[in-house]
Amino acid sequence: MSLELLIIVAFGGAFLTYFLGKISSKLRNSFAVLNALALVVIIACLYGQTMEKSFYFGFFSLPLILRNNVLSWFFAIAISVLGALSVIFSLSYMRNRERTDFYYLMMLLVNAAMLGIVFSGDLISFFIFWEIMSWSTCILISYNRGPALAAGMKYIIMSIIGSMAMLVGMLSLYTTYGTLNIATLSTLVASSSHGYLLFLLIIFGITFGIKNAVMPLHTWLPDAYAEAPSPFTAVLSGMLTRMGIYGFLLIMYVIVGAGATLHLGHGFFTFNNILAWLGAITIVIPTFIAMLQNDAKKLLAWHGIGQGGYMILGIAFGTSLGMAGGIFHTLNHAIYISLLFMSVAAIQYRTGGVRDLNSLGGLIKKMPIAFIGGLLGICGLIGIPLTNGFVSKWLIYKTLILNGAPFLAFAALIGTWGTILSVYKFLHNIFLGQLPEKYKNIQKSPFSMRLPIIVLSFAILLFGILPGIPLKVINAIDVSLGFKSLNVTLWGIASDSGTLNTINIFAVVLVFGVIIWLLFKAGRKAPKVDQYDNYAAGAAIPKGKYHYTVDYYNPFYRMATPYLKDFVDVFYMKIAKWTQNLCNTVRRIYTGYVGNYVMYIVLFMAFLILIQLKWSVF
Amino acid sequence: MQIWGIILSPLLALVVGIFFLGLSRKIMARIHWRYGPPITQPVIDIIKLFSQKSISHGTIFDLGLILSLAGSFVVILFLPLGQMCPLSSGGLLAILYLMLLAPLGIALSSGEAANPNSSIGISRKFLLALGYEVPLLFILLAVMTHYNTISLVEIVRIQSTTGWSFGSLPLLLSGIAYFLILPAILGIRPFEIAGAGQEISSGANAEFGGKFLAFSTIQHALHEFIGISLFVNLFLGGWSLFGILEPITNTVWGVILGIIVFLIKMLIVFILGLFINAVFPRFRIEQAIKYLWKWPTLFAFIGLIVVVLVK
Repeated sequence: MSLELLIIVAFGGAFLTYFLGKISSKLRNSFAVLNALALVVIIACLYGQTMEKSFYFGFFSLPLILRNNVLSWFFAIAISVLGALSVIFSLSYMRNRERTDFYYLMMLLVNAAMLGIVFSGDLISFFIFWEIMSWSTCILISYNRGPALAAGMKYIIMSIIGSMAMLVGMLSLYTTYGTLNIATLSTLVASSSHGYLLFLLIIFGITFGIKNAVMPLHTWLPDAYAEAPSPFTAVLSGMLTRMGIYGFLLIMYVIVGAGATLHLGHGFFTFNNILAWLGAITIVIPTFIAMLQNDAKKLLAWHGIGQGGYMILGIAFGTSLGMAGGIFHTLNHAIYISLLFMSVAAIQYRTGGVRDLNSLGGLIKKMPIAFIGGLLGICGLIGIPLTNGFVSKWLIYKTLILNGAPFLAFAALIGTWGTILSVYKFLHNIFLGQLPEKYKNIQKSPFSMRLPIIVLSFAILLFGILPGIPLKVINAIDVSLGFKSLNVTLWGIASDSGTLNTINIFAVVLVFGVIIWLLFKAGRKAPKVDQYDNYAAGAAIPKGKYHYTVDYYNPFYRMATPYLKDFVDVFYMKIAKWTQNLCNTVRRIYTGYVGNYVMYIVLFMAFLILIQLKWSVF
Repeated sequence: MQIWGIILSPLLALVVGIFFLGLSRKIMARIHWRYGPPITQPVIDIIKLFSQKSISHGTIFDLGLILSLAGSFVVILFLPLGQMCPLSSGGLLAILYLMLLAPLGIALSSGEAANPNSSIGISRKFLLALGYEVPLLFILLAVMTHYNTISLVEIVRIQSTTGWSFGSLPLLLSGIAYFLILPAILGIRPFEIAGAGQEISSGANAEFGGKFLAFSTIQHALHEFIGISLFVNLFLGGWSLFGILEPITNTVWGVILGIIVFLIKMLIVFILGLFINAVFPRFRIEQAIKYLWKWPTLFAFIGLIVVVLVK
């Protein structure tokens, strides 16, 4: 299997899907699913092969290169699996919507562009694929029109700033070294001066920081996640945003190299220390802002920002444990956050687009699979043991504590407790509590929605109980980036400073669960009762009102609301407003009357003549 | 040894936890100048509850409670009980996260009960947890940084040679902070907010009856055991007693005496907690959070800075 074939299948399939849609929607749907699955199969076949190949020469005499190594493969398999699940999920979600052909085209195009990014072996093709991804993402975010247009605009403006920064970095690299081949650069760059390395890291850091929504470059994300069509939000939150992490890995540990990156700066102010602190801020503030949200997708979006901070924290530290934690968390996050967005999407699909946390409730009885998805998703997000999030967070915390960074560890740990509060509110307000009367006859979600939810739920438990499966690959990435190899077993990680063994946690939870369940069964049988057969201190139960969801953490809101605002966003919006006003003023000059323009010219000539008469400069 | 530990330590925790419940009622009664129920009253109650009729609100209502009880037992396996510690992988970080299973289970269970009283109880419980986690995390990080390990067994072992953390200067402030938040962790007055009987019908317990209430009571007993035993392990040296038990470490008598010393330390801490419980009224939730984020957090924060500077 070759990489050209992969790119051809990915891009060709996307356009072919669009044209097949003009013939019949059934044909289009099955082709889109087949195409996405074919990509998974091709990438799976590429496992363990290292290759590098130029596929096009003559782009300003620079070859465009595709290459495969363990880092690319790891991201590619996650992208393709998530893409396939999300396409399957779209089948029923997008049914009976308008412009579906276009939706599938863009969806597959984003997928193809992301694969292009991770497989590209030089910065030119990296940049081209990066731009394809950014633009098609913008179009998909704006798919629903209305407020979505503003969200898409915000995204694309920040994305363009990022791309321009990357372009500057690339030009500088090209003028200095005369090549943009990543493999060649990685041997050349490391010996440059510290100032130049710092420039490179910062300029590329802006690009990838915007994509990964590191504070204070995060403001595009909450609106974009909330307004995009939900199956696409799964892709956007799962892998697309994490192209930023791939970028950080590429610039920090592939191009500049671990040895040079970790020793830039003095004392506290080293590059990786500042990045780690930005990561810590990115964890704490968004996690607490998430607690105030009443929109299910926005709540998850703020957690998307917060979890990105953990990955940054892991990879910024540059130890093999931290790297493993950061990269593993990227995968885990992709799994649970897309699962959560899919659960929300299933709810939206059945309730007619409702995602307001104050008006749902009790849906566990009607949509059990969506509930299981939501439950395992939040467990992974919190990092409950036996779900995948626990292992990666454990690796990150351990790195921080043993490397003498207790304050960073505090930021990471307190983020977890903030997470518990908001995600329990999420789960409670949607699935638990009283079922409103209007949702009495709701159906469970269709099969094409249940399948991705079940697969992802299974993945959460599998990687939580047997973390060795992905950690083996991640360990290979660690080694390829020049870090020490870890002692990874199938059910955990062994090291001289404390081991983690998930299988014995699983065994004891299982044993005690079974014993207590048997005891429970031995007790007198409890008959099941209706939701209105409830304790109300003897009073009659008011139907539809015996529910506690609005202002779930009321005392805390009263305390914290004034402090928990997205001040960065307010600041950016102010700048945008000022710019708009300035441009409006400038526009006054262009009145559209020829007479005015003639007057400008005459005045300008008069000005020149005046200068000539006075000083005779010309 | 490990097998014995896995069987014995949950049983011991169960017995001690329930004994503490009975003892607390007796001591509270004496402070109030009443006679009080017999110490075995919780056992009688639990047996009685098992035979009583109860209702269920659905599958998660049952499974959540089972999960919370199982989670509590699992945490106990990870806590050193004297010299006996059946499981230790993952260290203090794993314990911290395993301690989430119990509240999560209770929250799921009473969430499905669809009773606003339960929901308010859970909301308060989580807010209180957020309140005491801030100082608690500073404290745990101070201890882990000071001993440069994440393993609780290791922390206890080092204390048995160098003396209790509570007595060592760098960790003194952290120890005081832990004692200040201990009532909040145990959920006793003045922090009896989540289970306020008079306001919200015991909160999370509102819909539990019969065997559900019995399970919930056992879970509560285990929770008290975990909270106190973590304090004893971290700051009062676990099983060590001024080096007296040092010569007989790793013998059967050493293990048994170690457990006894450990339990006596727990009892003393618990009775101190009861004295606070007996004389204080209940905080409102904002007052509780404000208290927890003021003095204990300040002590714990300075404690962490001291530890970092001393290193």
